[in-house]
Amino acid sequence: MILKAENSSKRYFRKTGGANYFLAVKPLNLALSGGEIAVLMGRSGSGKTTLLNMLSGLLLPTEGKVRLGETDLYSLNDKDLSRLRSERIGVVPQGRSAIDTLTVLENIILPAKLYGRTLPVENVRQWMEQLGIAHLRDARPAELSGGELRRMAIVRALAQSPDFLFADEPTGDLDDENTHLVLSAFREYAHAQKKAVFIVTHENDAFDYADVIYQMDAGKIVSTTSQAK
Amino acid sequence: MTKKQLIPAAVLLILSVLIVIGSQSFLRPCVHEDGSFGSCHWAGQALLGLGCALGVMAALALAVRRAGFGIFLSALPVCVLGILTPGTLIDLCHMSTMRCRMVMQPAMIILFAAALLCALTGAVLSARKS
Amino acid sequence: MVLAMLTAFLALAVFGGSVVVLSLRSGLNSLEARLGADIILVPSQAQSKVSFQNMFLQGTTGAFYMDSSALDKALEVSGVEKAAPQTFLASLKADCCSIKIQVIGIDPERDFTVQPWIARSLSRGLNDMEVAVGCKVEADVGEIIRIYDQRCKVVARLESTGTGLDTAVYCDMDTMNKLLAAAEEKGVSHKIESGDQVISAVYIKVKDGCSIDEVNSRLNGHIRKVTAVRTRSMITGVSDSLAGVSRTVTALIAAVWVLAFLVLLLAFMLIIRERAREFAVLRLAGASRGMLSRLVLTESSLCGLLGGLIGVELAALALFPFAQLIESALNLPYLMPDPGKILLLAGGTVLLSVLVAALSSVIAAYRLSRIDPGTALREGN
Repeated sequence: MILKAENSSKRYFRKTGGANYFLAVKPLNLALSGGEIAVLMGRSGSGKTTLLNMLSGLLLPTEGKVRLGETDLYSLNDKDLSRLRSERIGVVPQGRSAIDTLTVLENIILPAKLYGRTLPVENVRQWMEQLGIAHLRDARPAELSGGELRRMAIVRALAQSPDFLFADEPTGDLDDENTHLVLSAFREYAHAQKKAVFIVTHENDAFDYADVIYQMDAGKIVSTTSQAK
Repeated sequence: MTKKQLIPAAVLLILSVLIVIGSQSFLRPCVHEDGSFGSCHWAGQALLGLGCALGVMAALALAVRRAGFGIFLSALPVCVLGILTPGTLIDLCHMSTMRCRMVMQPAMIILFAAALLCALTGAVLSARKS
Repeated sequence: MVLAMLTAFLALAVFGGSVVVLSLRSGLNSLEARLGADIILVPSQAQSKVSFQNMFLQGTTGAFYMDSSALDKALEVSGVEKAAPQTFLASLKADCCSIKIQVIGIDPERDFTVQPWIARSLSRGLNDMEVAVGCKVEADVGEIIRIYDQRCKVVARLESTGTGLDTAVYCDMDTMNKLLAAAEEKGVSHKIESGDQVISAVYIKVKDGCSIDEVNSRLNGHIRKVTAVRTRSMITGVSDSLAGVSRTVTALIAAVWVLAFLVLLLAFMLIIRERAREFAVLRLAGASRGMLSRLVLTESSLCGLLGGLIGVELAALALFPFAQLIESALNLPYLMPDPGKILLLAGGTVLLSVLVAALSSVIAAYRLSRIDPGTALREGN
């Protein structure tokens, strides 16, 4: 299964400045396939998150298409797209993304629960242990540190077993040890389960784990490097 | 006693102050032109006494926190007495348009019923702790 | 929580207001039913003392007497279908409380205003020294009440009418004569020049097809020392003030409605801003716009339900125990609708609160579903 961006671009209107809009992402082509970790690097404001949102079905491109297999994501209605996202695409967003009234475990199973699915208990437990948050399962998000919240969001995405996993700065607030834990988990997920993982970062840590590295600058992908496994 | 248990005691104190002041002013029983007293007057006096007792209990519950549970429990029969006093234990005027039946009785029953609920809540909260 | 309190306020106003208005309406209806007479004859010197307010709202009829021959003369007047006498007597202070109980003597054979009402609570007639009491007289059936030291047995407690009739005690003419005699002994005189039978008023029903005004003037001309008063002129004053109160209450309800709706609308908008991040997370987790809208609607409906219940509860707590106080303050006939109607009204109010809460969240729900999760999450941090 392949996820492809075809001439996708995103334009934002802005009220001040010279031009009345600016291109956050210039038309570009990109393909993600199972069994591969792709890392998107670039400075702040280079359009990385916008691209991630478009690819993961969260943001309608101004032009171009995003296809999952033969399906044009943005030709689907909201209900079908939401279901498809829920089943096939996982996202680890920037910043806090916990529902404060739910426990850590409830937060993790929330996406499945919205559609009445159940997750394999063993799988959830194993991811929680691997990322070191198993002991927090009944805690509330307010009691967690930034790093723990981040790992909770990662477990939440992994536990749904999506075909495509998107992570926006997943190691931003983690120490070296945890960064290693998380990136290893991503690599294991991509390689062992033949899933696609797409990581956006401005740090170099992810470099060693990547199969493909994209460099982005000013809304354009300026270089693509494939690394031997 | 934790802060949670202070709330029912404080509310109880406010209610009993209302009862005490009310029984002598805005909730007082009928006043007769010739200055004589009907039985409703004595019902009002009884309510004043019960209100005072309840107020002292609430104040004690606030001051001596260890005693909370026992005080709340003993406030229960006082509240029940307060509900029964106007009309049931002590007769009021024989006309429902009289002030004692129109104002004092319903207001006092509501106040004492609220106090009863308060004392119950306080008792449950302090029981759970001990 | 704030939303629930707002809807509670709304429900309080709607429920409280409509119960008051309904009570006033049924009060007026019951007043008209009890006031089956078209004309009331009273002694001329009493005319100024007889006001509608006194007779039918406060239940203080006053004491005035005339010779019972007025009844026979009234029956002679053409156009008079029925005529029934009533005799009023105000008791001295009863033993326990210093209230003057109004005693009304009726002629059960002739009476067409009060008797049908008494008959609903007492299947047989009133015997000697037996009385029926209005529902606001706190005496139970079987109890003995003393009027001028005469022991009268309470045999019935009458249904509520919401009028001054509820505060009176009713007996037949024989009993009334004994009470009058006892009053005389105590020095309360009801002096008239002649005759052994005294009455206070004659209630007259005019034959169908006859003009009440004509009969009224005929009565005034035919019987001396007596004034005929049309009841219709008495009741219009009440209907007028009733309409006034109804209008005011209705306007208040409408104002509260509009205000509450606007505030709710605003409150939902603010809450949406505050919770944008939470909803973005839900979107991220795969929730569709429809799911979010449903969530918001469910939440606001629950808020409305909770608020509605609290509001109705509070209104009930004020309305029912203090019904008598409200009645006295309004000085209008005030009769609570029956429990079924009140329950229906309460249910309706709760339903209304739910609807209003849901409705005011619709715009918020729509705006919410348009939120772009990516941007919302960024802004939220």
